[in-house]
Order: sequence, then C-alpha cells, then structure tokens
Amino acid sequence: MSLDLEQLTLSLSQARQQSSPQQILDLIPYSSFIGAQAKVLKADSENVLYWLERRASNIGNPSLPAIHGGVIGGFLELSASIEVLYTLDVNVVPKVVDFSLDYLRPGRYKTIYANCTVLRQGKKLVNVTATAWQDNPETPIATARCHFLIS
Amino acid sequence: MNLKLAIFKPMLKLAMERTGHGAALGFELTRVGYGEVEMSFAYKEEVVGNPITGVVHGGVIVSLLDTCCGSAAITTLKRPAITPTMDLRLDYMHPAEPNQPIHVSAKVYRNTSNVMFCRGSAWQDDPENPIAHCVATFMKVESPSLSFGNVVRRRFNRFIHGNKAFEKEADK
Repeated sequence: MSLDLEQLTLSLSQARQQSSPQQILDLIPYSSFIGAQAKVLKADSENVLYWLERRASNIGNPSLPAIHGGVIGGFLELSASIEVLYTLDVNVVPKVVDFSLDYLRPGRYKTIYANCTVLRQGKKLVNVTATAWQDNPETPIATARCHFLIS
Repeated sequence: MNLKLAIFKPMLKLAMERTGHGAALGFELTRVGYGEVEMSFAYKEEVVGNPITGVVHGGVIVSLLDTCCGSAAITTLKRPAITPTMDLRLDYMHPAEPNQPIHVSAKVYRNTSNVMFCRGSAWQDDPENPIAHCVATFMKVESPSLSFGNVVRRRFNRFIHGNKAFEKEADK
C-alpha cells in the first residue's frame, strides 16, 4: 500500500499522459472502498466524469433506501482531490482544509455522477466545487465546496 | 439515564452499526444521551486516503461526523421522523495519526420545530486538540415510509431477499 513520492509523481504523469484519471483513483484505497470510478468525457479534454455505482455497503438509511450522506460527501471530496491531481500540475496529495456540503435531494439507491470545477488555483490553496446528480444533471442531489492545501 | 433512552440506545446502535455503510466502516456508538452521541472508529487500511502517509481519507471523517450528528439529532425526536442532513461544514485542523482510533462526539445545540442544529468534533488523543470540527443542520420530516406496516414489510423483504431487496425497492 505504501508509496513513495517518486512513485506517486511517476504514476500521476503517466495517468495524465494516458488521459486516465482512473489510474489516480486506483492509488487511493478509499476509492475502492466506496467504489468510485472516473473517466474523461472526450479524448484530450480535461472534463472528467466521476461516478459511484450502487452497492449495499454504501446505504445509509435502509428504510428509503438512500445512499449514506457521508458516502456522498466522501465521494465528492475524493472527486475534488482527483480533479486537482489530474488537471493541475500538482504532485503532492492535496490536503483538505475545509469542506462544505449542501444536500439538495435524497441520494436514491442508484448510480451517482459528479463533476468538479477548479475555481481558483493559488500558490498554496486551491478552491474546487463539486456537484453530484443521479438522473439528470439539472437536478443535483448535492453540491460541495472544498479548499485544498497544495504546498 | 431515562427509560426512553435505555430502550432507544440499542435500537440506534443496531441501525447505525449493523446496516449499510455503518457496517462497512465498522464504528461503535460508545455513548448515547439526549442530544449527545459519542462514537469511536478503529483504524483500517481499506479507507486510507493518502497512500504515502497512510492517513485515512477525509470522506471517513465526513461519514463519521454525519452519522454522529445525525444520531444526536434522532435522540431529540418526540415522534418517529427521518432526519435528512441539510448541510454539513467541516474544518480539518490537522491530519489524523495512522494506526490510531478516531473518536467522534456530536451535540444538538439548538432544536426547533423543523430544524436541528448540531456541532461535532473528531479527535484522537486529546479532545481539546481535534483533528476536525463540524457544524451540521438536519430537517425533521415525518414520512409515510416510517409507518409500522411499511417498516414490517421492508424488514420481511430484506429477510427474504437480502441485499437484493434494496434494488427492488429502488427500481419500483
């Protein structure tokens, strides 16, 4: 499991070259724990789609059934950090400083999709927003905003 | 401890520790009081977020604090209702130490007719030196899905079909 900085830098540049954000996700054990996946939408574009297929171990409220709010939060935080690693030239694991999440609709027991936008990149801080939806991107189930320390 | 909480605690423990994501993460509710809940979580390699240092992923802290604050909110209910999270804000003070348990506590500091305001914190050695602090708000929603008949029907379906029952429920 343990990885050194050199291997990480190598894997990151390889993933960027091959347009495969999934390779970065595979480095992080938590992503397979919840089952997060990622791909680029069009070749050469930096637009990454993240998704989380339904699985019983992600259920929070079995009486609805609904996806656990913490899983939605964890998934958005993970997506935002992958976005930073994939689209920016950052070769350290970004540290989360704060994370703010608004739940808009219940997460039904279906696949969750997410996309992220880097709003500002400074020398030390990056601000990223992430939006999650299920059936339709027009009806998001949650939005998140996140600050990462990258120095 | 009053009688209501004495009956309530094992039910809450069962609902939080044994189902879905709670069971997958594997935490324990260590204290349940009126509007106050404490939990602890033992370190696991499966949930590491930083492969270099072995620190757990922030998503785990989100799940722990969301569950803990949500549980604290449930303990203040007078009638059966679901308590969806409206929003959650988390500040990370410093990274968690690998291979050490994480303790979480949450408290409802204001309870109104529709909304519950909670705050929570996560720490390892010293509660005064938290790894994260959060504030969260929860809605009170009285839902028909909580009626006695519906709960019994779902329990029965899950007993018969196991996890497939969730898919049937969602596909309806």
